[in-house]
Amino acid sequence: MTLSSMARLVSLSLRRDRPRAAFSTFGVAVGVGALVFFVALGLGVARVIREKVFPIDSALVDVVPPAISLGSLLGGGKVDQATMDRLATLPNVLHAYRKMNVRVPAVSRYEGAFFGSHLRMGLEILAVGVDRGLVEKDVQLGAFADPNPGEPIPAIASSRLLEIYNKTFAPARKLPQLSPKLVVGFTFPVEFNRSFVAATSDGQVMAERLQIVGISDRALLAGVTIPLETAIRLNRSASADAQTFTAATLVARDPSAVPKIADEVKRMGLQTDDQERRLAQNAGLAVALTTSALALLSVLICVLAAVNIAHALSASVRARAREIGIMQAVGASRSDVRLIVLGEAAAIGLSGGLVGTIGAVLAAAVVDRVSSSYLPSFPYKPDSFFSYPLEVIAGGIALGMIAALSGAYFPSRHAASMDPARTVAE
Amino acid sequence: MISARALKKCFADGTGGELPVLNGVDLEVKRAEFVAILGPSGSGKSTLLHVLGGLDIHYQGEVQVAGVKLAALDDKGLARFRNREIGFVFQSFHLIPNLTAIENVLLPAYFDPRSINGEHRHRAEEVLSRVGMIGKKDRVPAQLSGGERQRVAIARALFARPKVLFCDEPTGNLDSVTGREVIDLFRALHQEGLTVLVVTHEERMSAAAQRILRLRDGRLADELDPEMRE
Repeated sequence: MTLSSMARLVSLSLRRDRPRAAFSTFGVAVGVGALVFFVALGLGVARVIREKVFPIDSALVDVVPPAISLGSLLGGGKVDQATMDRLATLPNVLHAYRKMNVRVPAVSRYEGAFFGSHLRMGLEILAVGVDRGLVEKDVQLGAFADPNPGEPIPAIASSRLLEIYNKTFAPARKLPQLSPKLVVGFTFPVEFNRSFVAATSDGQVMAERLQIVGISDRALLAGVTIPLETAIRLNRSASADAQTFTAATLVARDPSAVPKIADEVKRMGLQTDDQERRLAQNAGLAVALTTSALALLSVLICVLAAVNIAHALSASVRARAREIGIMQAVGASRSDVRLIVLGEAAAIGLSGGLVGTIGAVLAAAVVDRVSSSYLPSFPYKPDSFFSYPLEVIAGGIALGMIAALSGAYFPSRHAASMDPARTVAE
Repeated sequence: MISARALKKCFADGTGGELPVLNGVDLEVKRAEFVAILGPSGSGKSTLLHVLGGLDIHYQGEVQVAGVKLAALDDKGLARFRNREIGFVFQSFHLIPNLTAIENVLLPAYFDPRSINGEHRHRAEEVLSRVGMIGKKDRVPAQLSGGERQRVAIARALFARPKVLFCDEPTGNLDSVTGREVIDLFRALHQEGLTVLVVTHEERMSAAAQRILRLRDGRLADELDPEMRE
């Protein structure tokens, strides 16, 4: 029997009992559709977490001094220039960037035009100085270096901070939403060694201006990122520690080398700050668990669809016993009979898989449309909650086929084992 | 053309025992012979036909049809044998209900190693013409009379140019006029050189056959055999 002959016989059989075929196809479509929908949702949400909420560069290792250590009491466990030199020479470390907090409080008091609105605000500001190399790819205006006297300090804001401003702060205060391009160039006053709430050092208040020169994933989330030399200068002026660094960021040659680098860092008496990475992993794990639970439910629906197909095909085979006998009388072998029944199941599985997958994609489009039209804006709200890689589409269709063929296994065996002499005589 | 030696076949009697149906059947049918096997209902005629046609493989003895020893064939070999060497005509026509007449005739072609092509369709039309059904080739069985259905079934049996035609009560479901037409068709096919073996309990078929055998108590005997006459 050729493939085209089998396809024709399968088509004839399915057309004869359309309600049965449609019901079986519907069962597969529901299971496959649900699975594809939930897996795509899980992948989409995980993508948002990975790319927007916790945009972690997998090749970066943040190094901090240990919270408590005997070494620090004895003068060790610090991140000073000698430590930085050692970190830079660790195997697989491409670059070692220094970070130093501005160790005095700072406030910004602003009253004036703000992108077409009037803004009056006062807020505490955190600032961290970093080596230029860490953020230079995100600098869009001027040089990222300690400015000449009277010039504004170049500052980089966090892309996540901008997202939070746009989705929560701006709507609440009726302020304009800002794009990264629009923010660059905005200048505002900052007074270092001044605080609304904390005690300040004895030094003078240092009035400066900050100018946003870029938006970066690598910038401090709740504050501004400024040149390292500026932070050292400010700390020195405020008689604060201007020698030791708050942290260091190492760039690994390859993300796979990160665990080895982390081990080396720990051997030096330092710690790695992987809080963000852990948060990302935990969020990813939560999404994966939820997705897995829903996917398992969907697989159960597919199993039920397979059972339904088994019942439907068994009934069909029994009802068509004489017809199968006729086919055997005119030349069908047992394997031909089996192939015909499996072919019916494959057709049901393929069409169910296709319908389910298309249905899932359409349902996702509806959800995205409803989300964009009716859901209020919130931080990290994506254009789409779904991700449909080719593997998910192909996997959905393959699952439909597997479910249907599994259901057809026993009915096809039963059909092939029928005694033609008996069935044509009945 | 057909040779059977010491054929035995038993069915389970439902109480753990066995009920012999064929009890040492010997049969020889020559090429282009028209043989009718008569016997009452339940005498084992259909069983004998199924064994000779390779539909029933659970038997003892030797069977050779068209030069093929059936016991030597596996399932695929038997399927090929049924597809190419023989044709079956059944009492209940056994047409596939949702196929048209020509599609029913084409059914054996679905199990041919070659894809269905124009040659197959031409052959189907040829055999439908031969049985006088070409004008109704696009009708489904429900749109045909009993006699027309049997003609389509005969066309299907003739499709693969079989060497032997096995007919199981071919006029059993037909009225006398239609039955006579079908018998005439068998006679004409036989005159064209086809070997025809008919099992029936109807005496009217004997008029068409060259030789009549009677199946009784699981054995075959020539009609003229004085020992088997009552």
